[in-house]
Amino acid sequence: MFEILEHTADIGFRARGSTAAELFENAALAMCSIACDLNRVAPRCEYPLAASGEDYESLLVNWLSEILYWTDGRRIALCEFHVHQIAPDRVSGVARGEPYDPSRHAARAIVKAVTYHQLKVAEEPGGWVAEVFLDV
Amino acid sequence: MELEAIDAYRYRIRRDERLGMRTDVIVYASAALIEHIRRDQSLQQAVNVANLPGIVGPSLAMPDIHQGYGFPIGGVAATDYRQGVVSPGGVGFDINCGVRLVRTTLAEADVRPRLKALIEQVFRDVPCGAGGSGQVKIEEKQLEAVLVEGARWMVANGYGDRRDAEYAEAGGALEDADPDKVSPRARQRGLPQLGTLGSGNHFLEIQTVQELHDPAAARAMGLELGQVVVLIHSGSRGLGHQVCTDYLAQMNPAMKKYGITLPDRQLACVPIHSPEGQAYLGAMRAAANFAWANRQGILHFLRGAFRRIFGDNVRLELIYDVCHNIAKRETYEVEGVHREVLVHRKGATRAFPARHREIPADYRAVGQPVFIPGSMGTASWVLVGAEGAMRESFGSVCHGAGRLMSRTAVRKGRDARQVQKQLEEQGILVRSETRDGIVEEVPEAYKNVDEVIEVVHHAGLARKVARLRPMGVIKG
Repeated sequence: MFEILEHTADIGFRARGSTAAELFENAALAMCSIACDLNRVAPRCEYPLAASGEDYESLLVNWLSEILYWTDGRRIALCEFHVHQIAPDRVSGVARGEPYDPSRHAARAIVKAVTYHQLKVAEEPGGWVAEVFLDV
Repeated sequence: MELEAIDAYRYRIRRDERLGMRTDVIVYASAALIEHIRRDQSLQQAVNVANLPGIVGPSLAMPDIHQGYGFPIGGVAATDYRQGVVSPGGVGFDINCGVRLVRTTLAEADVRPRLKALIEQVFRDVPCGAGGSGQVKIEEKQLEAVLVEGARWMVANGYGDRRDAEYAEAGGALEDADPDKVSPRARQRGLPQLGTLGSGNHFLEIQTVQELHDPAAARAMGLELGQVVVLIHSGSRGLGHQVCTDYLAQMNPAMKKYGITLPDRQLACVPIHSPEGQAYLGAMRAAANFAWANRQGILHFLRGAFRRIFGDNVRLELIYDVCHNIAKRETYEVEGVHREVLVHRKGATRAFPARHREIPADYRAVGQPVFIPGSMGTASWVLVGAEGAMRESFGSVCHGAGRLMSRTAVRKGRDARQVQKQLEEQGILVRSETRDGIVEEVPEAYKNVDEVIEVVHHAGLARKVARLRPMGVIKG
């Protein structure tokens, strides 16, 4: 569950989840949907993910930066995320996808980095919400 | 926050201690541009920059300023080199994003009939790198050398002429780069991307010289009316992005250690002479060198593409290469005192005037060449640095047109084919590797580059030399 937010130079998203784990999964999907068409990616390979931080904000930035490392550094197109364990200073889980194939995956944009600009992670009465801006 | 007009091209926000400001903000803008600038958070960001410990002189905003992360894009801040801070946000994720301009021995009439074939050839030879990798195949050990020697390594290894490295800011390599401070992840992201354009606002544009405003400076740069030139806009790709990401993650905890508090987490900074500050600067310089090597690789493959279409007699010579995302140690006279400072240029171009010893001898009589790309399908400008930049903007000027509209807003009601067709009707061919690349960079998304140039010209930061009109664009 996520929506795209506007920024003059770049792009952001607002993601929600009933738990922190679901929030982190949806935030990952939001970022990957900006980079390519998720419907064209098959979840046939599994990749381990782990990140740490000082609080949920830096944890989310580091989690998304970890995913960006797989997509930009290892050239893997990702379409599914599962958080196994999460605490304010640590998160781990897996991503599913397949090696990037330019003929099938239709790149939309190259995400350069995850920023702290207007970053928000909060537990609200209806569940968890995060707002993140990406440098593209 | 009150904005007062100083003259027709300068505005000021006076230092306000309640906002944590240590200095004034000076904005270079016309009455029309300041209205655009007020609409986003860029002025607030320029005020936040005025909070940086050890800032020297005002926090500066160029006329192409728009909202960025931490620093505004189009922001300049100098910090005291002994007691001030370094901020990775003041450089940005795309370390040494920059522009090089290449002159060809062809005229518009030579290129026009074969433009389509040329664009296709360049598109094949200079990948954007979204999926595939670049054509410069190097191993980890060679990457180490690239991080130290930048464009010079490329030239020494067959990717260019000897004069290419000489005609780049800092000779295409900054001293004191420290490859050991570049993480394995940053290296892994960079390794397959050497010689690739990247996406976002990065592009390669085939242009023709449309107007000459300063014949002597144009002559020094070998520019004539109707001549075909190529503008390359790219940076340090995933390597630089990862360096910035790595150090931002370290700086937030380090700021607590040094007792620094700032209004925006993305502005994170540490003392220049702290271990964290030195490590970042070593890695930043290495990433900057990677960017110069990257632009050199692009030029090499561009030459190959031109030769395949126009034969072996066509020559492409580098006019100059300038970066617009960087932090550099420089010396300026501030209120009558020589100060050694770290100049953060976040979306700002160095613009040294005539007689400055750091510019190639060919240009010393006219000033350092500065290239200001407009948006896709509009004009770009060649300028030279002027004395005013040394007096008031730490040798800096603007870097582009500056965005007006968000990428999401601009996509509404537009599709890539329609935009491509409109540009074709104006004689401009466009090829893009990513689906959204063309739509997001339409001219309407940007301020009018001519207005931006008028401001810096009349404010005395730089002088107009030539206006360039696009013929073909390769987008990431």
